[in-house]
Amino acid sequence: MEISAFLLFWAAIFTSNILLTNFLGMCSYLSVSKEVESSMGLGIAVSFVLVFTTALNWLAYHYLLVPFHIEYLQYIVFIIVIAAFVQLLELLIERFAPALYYSLGIFLPLITVNCAIFGVSLFMVIRNYNFLQSIAYGFGSGLGWLLAILMLAGLRGKLREKMVPAGLRGTGISLIITGIMALAFVGFSGIAPIQ
Amino acid sequence: MKPTGKELKTMQRMQPGVQTLSGFLGDDTRPLNEIIQDDAIVLDRLGRTQQEVAKRMESLTQASWDSYLEGTLVDGKYLVQTEVYRGRMPCPFGHPGIYRKAVTTLTNQGNGITVVWTSLSMHMIGAHGFFEGRGSAYRLEPETLIKALFD
Amino acid sequence: MLITILKDTGVITGVSGILAILLVIAERWLNNYGDCKINVNNKRELTVKGGSSLLNSLSEEQVFLPSACGGRGSCGACKCKVLDGGGPVLPTEKPFLNQAELADNVRLSCQVKVKSDVSIEIPESIFNIRQFSSVITEIIDYTYDIKGITFQLEPGETIDFQAGQYVQLISEPYAKVKQGVTRAYSISSKPDDVNAIQLIIRLVPEGICSTWAHTQLKVGDKARFTGPYGDFYLRDTDADILFVAGGSGKAPIKSMLEHLAVVGTKRKMTYFFGARTPKDLYLTEEMESFEKLFDDFAYEPVLSHAAPEDNWQGKTGFVMPFFKDAIRDPKNTEAYLCGSPGMIDAVTKSLTDLGVPKEKIYFDSFG
Repeated sequence: MEISAFLLFWAAIFTSNILLTNFLGMCSYLSVSKEVESSMGLGIAVSFVLVFTTALNWLAYHYLLVPFHIEYLQYIVFIIVIAAFVQLLELLIERFAPALYYSLGIFLPLITVNCAIFGVSLFMVIRNYNFLQSIAYGFGSGLGWLLAILMLAGLRGKLREKMVPAGLRGTGISLIITGIMALAFVGFSGIAPIQ
Repeated sequence: MKPTGKELKTMQRMQPGVQTLSGFLGDDTRPLNEIIQDDAIVLDRLGRTQQEVAKRMESLTQASWDSYLEGTLVDGKYLVQTEVYRGRMPCPFGHPGIYRKAVTTLTNQGNGITVVWTSLSMHMIGAHGFFEGRGSAYRLEPETLIKALFD
Repeated sequence: MLITILKDTGVITGVSGILAILLVIAERWLNNYGDCKINVNNKRELTVKGGSSLLNSLSEEQVFLPSACGGRGSCGACKCKVLDGGGPVLPTEKPFLNQAELADNVRLSCQVKVKSDVSIEIPESIFNIRQFSSVITEIIDYTYDIKGITFQLEPGETIDFQAGQYVQLISEPYAKVKQGVTRAYSISSKPDDVNAIQLIIRLVPEGICSTWAHTQLKVGDKARFTGPYGDFYLRDTDADILFVAGGSGKAPIKSMLEHLAVVGTKRKMTYFFGARTPKDLYLTEEMESFEKLFDDFAYEPVLSHAAPEDNWQGKTGFVMPFFKDAIRDPKNTEAYLCGSPGMIDAVTKSLTDLGVPKEKIYFDSFG
């Protein structure tokens, strides 16, 4: 399994978009996509956190879990690492980049429970990526997630002036739109399969 | 759906003794979103929206506001009176803004129903669809309220 | 087997332990802003530990900005000018600030975190605001829902306020109420009594602090309050005065009249008190005694809902129709109003129609 990191990066954005093909990270995707501005903020935060947590989790897996033969504990360790990292990141940003903190900070706690973050770490293990591949895959997935939430936010902005049946308003119509977007993304899937 | 962190915080503020003496939830054991949903179903059945209800409450309150000691008779049968106390209170849902401690009493002389609400009730119904928990001091049964407001 | 379990739990514990320690260290190091200086009005310099909100840092230094929500960013009462070191305006503040205030560097002090030296500007009168400890020395039942409570300051302590200002009483936990709250009440005693204040407290349905004051407080109990606050106070001029009050709005006017009784005055004064029924009237004898004391003072209670069996001989209806006879020269008349916003609006309109200048109408519309 030797895909170049570069290819993996693009594939993670388009052909196996973490949100539109794996349907991970739905919770915050649906709740934050009401406005383009906050979607952008959350998307950037997710990408940022994904790169670092994948790297950290790769190191934790290969230098801690494998030597001790406790791979089965990866779920717990990954979650602890993600939670601690997000917390630390929040503290760091608040101290050194206050402007960034005010635009990004409110989203950081949301990310701890975003399953896309956890999912990427698990895929990285299942698919046996090396360190570079993992980072590329993490970054690509983040950008893919950002792309998906931005598209939905844009569409929801347009929908505000349209007549939507009462029962479908909000989450209902968003899920249908997401389904259609996912169908469109299937069109990319032949270009660079990475599974 | 499990309550989100924000909902838990809101419910915390609704406990007795946090913002008001006996809180907003009364002896209701349902989670917040269920209370809101159950009332939304009743509203739907009666063909009214929460905004419509809140608007009507606001216009009646406004009418009584202008005549400060007397009750006001609106449209010949809605007797409204508002009593204002010192101070203001924030919305337990964490909205910006504070609401006067004003208690409005409406008697619909057509059907004899009397309902009592506060400035905060109007906001919570209009913005959050929250009619307070069963057994709370200012709980408004949507069905009774609509009869009092519109019949 | 046992070894494996021990080893596995050991690794997990180790990882979490290391991360936890890392976080604690990071928190210590990152959240430590050292000592920061707060420059107030270019006059006073306070040194506080950085990292907490401006509102809290100031109150730890005994500078009390008013706040109704306790620093949650939902009341907008704690505004002050932050000239330097406040950082960018937060999204949580924007709903409370208009264009002029934004241009003027006005911020919500509860949302500004002190991370470096800051300089701020606050009204001078705020320096006068302090926290007081007191002992209850008297509780009077004025009506079925209004009590007058006297708070005696600790020996040696004095309070300096103007007749008409208010304090924020801090309630203690009781029964189901697990935390104290602060609520505003007007001072009803005269500023010349510097060792004690009296508050007139009306029982608010579902109110935490008023219920506490009505059901829990006994003579001899301790209570804390901060103050004085407010720009509703008696102006020292020669103009005629019209006092108008409703409900528990009698408190600040009682303070003003008692103060005038001490310093003496030749001003023409009329006091209208609007209430519903005779059982809502209180302090009537005290007010009538002022009629003998002052050269030209009249107390006029006006009832809107007097029942025939009450045998009410005085004025009825609204207070507004009676203003005309009480005003000698509208241009030279000051009005002090305290009561519900509905009453204030109606009275203000009626007074301006009669020719009383708007800037001479002072009011306290129940916060």
